[in-house]
Amino acid sequence: MANNDKRLGVALAAATCALLGGARSAPAAAADDEDRWEIESALLYYGESDDRVQDASLSVFAKRDFDDGKLLDFSITADTLTGASPSGATALDTPQTFTSPSGDDTYRTAAGEIPLDDTFLDTRYAVSANWTQPFAGLYTVSAGGSFSDEYDYTHAGANVRLTRDFNQRNTTLSAALAYSWDESDPVGGVPVGLSQMLDEDDLSNRGDAQTKDIVDVVIGIAQVVNRTTVVRVNYSYSDSSGYLNDPYKILSVVDPVTGDTIARTPPPGEDGPSGIYRFDNRPDSRTKHGLYAEARTWLGGKVLSLSYRFMTDDWEIDSHTLEAHLRWPIGATSYVEPHLRYYTQTAAEFYRVSLVDGEPLPQYASADYRLAEFDGVTAGLKFGHETSGGNEWSVRVEYYKQKGKVSDSLLIGNQLDRETIADLNAIIAQFSYRFRF
Amino acid sequence: MSSARANALIRWSLLKSAVARTRFLLLALLLLATGSATAARAGADPALDLARYRGRVVLVDFWASWCSPCRSSIPWLNAMQAKYAGQGLVIIGVNVDKERTDAERFLAETPIHFEVVYDPDGRLPAQYDVPVMPSSFVFDRSGALVVRHAGFLNAKRAEYEATLRDLLLAKENPG
Amino acid sequence: MRRLFTFLSLLALTGCAQVAPWERDVLARREMQLDGAPLDAAFDDHIYFSKEASSGGRGFGGGGCGCN
Repeated sequence: MANNDKRLGVALAAATCALLGGARSAPAAAADDEDRWEIESALLYYGESDDRVQDASLSVFAKRDFDDGKLLDFSITADTLTGASPSGATALDTPQTFTSPSGDDTYRTAAGEIPLDDTFLDTRYAVSANWTQPFAGLYTVSAGGSFSDEYDYTHAGANVRLTRDFNQRNTTLSAALAYSWDESDPVGGVPVGLSQMLDEDDLSNRGDAQTKDIVDVVIGIAQVVNRTTVVRVNYSYSDSSGYLNDPYKILSVVDPVTGDTIARTPPPGEDGPSGIYRFDNRPDSRTKHGLYAEARTWLGGKVLSLSYRFMTDDWEIDSHTLEAHLRWPIGATSYVEPHLRYYTQTAAEFYRVSLVDGEPLPQYASADYRLAEFDGVTAGLKFGHETSGGNEWSVRVEYYKQKGKVSDSLLIGNQLDRETIADLNAIIAQFSYRFRF
Repeated sequence: MSSARANALIRWSLLKSAVARTRFLLLALLLLATGSATAARAGADPALDLARYRGRVVLVDFWASWCSPCRSSIPWLNAMQAKYAGQGLVIIGVNVDKERTDAERFLAETPIHFEVVYDPDGRLPAQYDVPVMPSSFVFDRSGALVVRHAGFLNAKRAEYEATLRDLLLAKENPG
Repeated sequence: MRRLFTFLSLLALTGCAQVAPWERDVLARREMQLDGAPLDAAFDDHIYFSKEASSGGRGFGGGGCGCN
C-alpha cells in the first residue's frame, strides 16, 4: 500500500527533466579523465515530524567519458517509503474512522487531529540512462530513458536533447523533449472520482489501473557573462493528460452551518467510515509553463549560485522558487555550502477544504494540502572534503518547513477554530561519496 | 687651481657621494629598466621566436591543465615528437595556466616530452588568435603557417599525423 | 512579459562580452558547472516534486571549459 504523496514515478519524470541537463554536455567536463568511470553514491534520509512520511534512499550515479566528448551516464535508485500523509479529510471534535485504501480494513483518527491516511510501507526501484554525443563540431545530441516501479505505480520515459554552441562556446542554446508514460494501480483499485468512501470489503466504486502521459519541452540558453560568471535561462512547457488524481486523497462532506463532517454509521456487522467522505477528483489535463533563471559566479574561491523559477498552469497554481547556494572553501580540500530556498504557491482553482452537504457536487475538488496555498522554506548546510586520491565525500543536512495558508473564506463554522493544514516539518540528511576508477 | 676647475671638482665629488649614498636605489632602477626592456621584448615573444627553427617543421600546441581534451592530445604529441624528431619535427607546448602549480600538477599525471613555454598572461594565444582549447598551429620548414587544428579529436589522429608526415617529406625551398 | 523580453535581449547582447577560449580556467572548475551536483539535484527535485505542486524547469549544459 503506497501513498501517492510521493508520486515517485512521476518524480522520476521530473528528475529525468532535471537530468536532461544533469547529464553534462560533453564540452563542460572540467578536465575529467577520459576512459574512467566516475561514480557518485549517496544515502538519503527524509523524515517528517509527527509520524508522517519517512524515506530512506540509496542512489548510485555513474558517468563515463569516452573518446572525443562522448558521454554515458546512468543512475540506479532504491527507495523505501513509510509513514502517513494528510488524506484531505478535516479534523473533528470526535474520533473518525476511515476505510483503508485496500478496502480490507479501517483506521481511526483521534479527536481533534487532522486525519492522516493509513500508514504504508513501499519500496521503489528506479533506473535511468543517458548518452551524449558531440557532432558537427558545435552540436551535441543526447538521448536517454528512465524507468521506475513500485507496488502501485510504474513509470517509463524517454528524452532527447540537442545543444549548439555559439560565440566561441560562450553561448549554448539547447532544446529538449521528454515523454513520460505512467500507470497508477492503487491497492484496491482506482476509485471513481467524487464517489463516496464505502464500507470495508466494498470495492464497487473501484476500477482498473489508469494511465497518464506527460510531454515536457525545455528550451534554454546558457551564457558566459565573464571569466567568472555564467547564467542560464530556461523556458519549460509541460502537458499532462490522463489520470491525474491522487487515488488516496479524500474530502470530508460537512454540514453547511457547523462545518462538521456529516456522520454516518456503517450497517450492522460491517466496519466502515464514520462520516461521509468522497474521493478527490482532478481535471484530466494540466498544462504548465515555467521560466527558470540561474546565475553562478566565482568570488575569489567562493562560488555563489542564485536561481529563480516561476511556474504557472491551467489549474491556476502559480509558484515562485528562489534559491541560493554559497560554496565556501575551507583550506585547499574542504568546503562548506549553506543553502537557502524559498517557495510559495497559490492554490489550485478546485482546491477546497471540504465539500458542503446539500450543495451540488463540483466537477473537480481536492483537499490535498499540496494543491493548497502555502509557503515553504528550506535551510541547509553541506560539508565536503576531497581526499588525497581526488575523491570526495560530503554530508548535507537540510530543514524544510511548509506552512499552509488557508483563507477564512474557505472555512465554515467550527473549521475556523481548528487547524486545517498540518504544517510540514522535515529533515533531510544525505551522505555522498564520489570516486573514480 | 682655477675657480672653474675647483667648482668642477666640487660638483664631481658631490655627484660621487650622491651615487655612493643611493647606489642601491640606482642599482634597483637600473635592473628595473633592464627588466622592462626584457618585458617589452617578451611582448614581441622572444620565448617563441620561430626563426630559430627554420628548416624544421614546427607544431605549436596550446594547452592548459583544465582542458580535458589536452589529456588525450599530449600522449599523442609525445609520440609524434619521439617518432619524427629525427626527421626535423619540433613540438612546442604553450601552457596558458594562470597558476604554475596547476600546470605542474597536470604534468605530474601527464608528462610532456617536448618543449614547454609558460604564458600565464595569455599573450601568445591572443597573438595566435587561438579559436578553442586546445589548438595547434603547424609551420612548414620555411616557417609559413600551413594548418591550424582547432580542438583535438582522437578520431582525427591519422589525419593530423599525415599532415605532419607530408610537411616533413617536403624539403625547404631553396632561395 | 516585456521585462522578460528585455532581459532575454540583454542576455543575447552579452554575447558581445566574450571570454577568450584560453580564459576559461575558472568556468572549467567542477563547482562552476551548472549541473555539477546531479545527485543532490535529483534528490531535491524528487522531494519537492512530492511535496509541492511545481516541478522541473531546471537542467542544461553550457559554461564550462568550452573545449574542442
